[in-house]
Amino acid sequence: MPLDALPGDPFDALGDANRRAIVELLRSGDRSVRQLADELPISRPAVSRHLRLLKQAGLVTDRAEGNRRLYRLHDEGIAVVREYLEQVWGEAAARFRLLAENTADPARRDAP
Amino acid sequence: MEPIELRFTVACSPVHAFEVWATRTSLWWPHSHSRSGDPGLTVTIEPRPGGRIYERTPAGVEHDWGEVLAWEPPGRLAYLWHIYGHSEDATEVDIRFAASGDATTTVTIVHRGWERLGARGHDLRRRNRQGWDGLLPHYLRACHLSTP
Repeated sequence: MPLDALPGDPFDALGDANRRAIVELLRSGDRSVRQLADELPISRPAVSRHLRLLKQAGLVTDRAEGNRRLYRLHDEGIAVVREYLEQVWGEAAARFRLLAENTADPARRDAP
Repeated sequence: MEPIELRFTVACSPVHAFEVWATRTSLWWPHSHSRSGDPGLTVTIEPRPGGRIYERTPAGVEHDWGEVLAWEPPGRLAYLWHIYGHSEDATEVDIRFAASGDATTTVTIVHRGWERLGARGHDLRRRNRQGWDGLLPHYLRACHLSTP
């Protein structure tokens, strides 16, 4: 399998509430930009920008289906981040960090 | 100030682990971790003590990131590191690649020299710790996916 050249930082990619929301939506299945934008409080161009960053970080991949493009979680990219966290941070910390990153409710993140 | 110490294993030989890090850096180094941020940049580590470490953009602009201190394949690579600063603010990265089983390599990274940075040392150490987190998953992936 070819490697994507010069990808981005996966933790930077997950450091944004809208991108975490996109990751969370993609967990339940592949979606188009339009489908994602319909479920998020941001525009389609903004969704596209976030998807590009997630793709560069190796967390999301895409494919053409008919005249639209579908996005999905890149299992291997997510697996390698988990593997790294487990090895370097310890298993419990990795579980906590992934959980925190993937369950954050963007609408409530400023509430105590 | 304590060095940053990171240890993890990769599912390949020390020879491959060293090569991916040192000679195929452009394959996995995130362009977000560079001076130019240019998606087309290449990263070069010159294979000798005293060698330059630098990025080069497609337009030919180069930025120095550091200088090789030890080039000892496949066991050790060490370098001075100042990707976002001046060379007099360099810290030191020392990486060991040790066989730890059948086709498994333990990579140990020690990143030291924070005390030399005075008052900025704590903040730069914290930011570099985060930087390693963003960098290393790409290295793991490159080790596992690239052909020896």
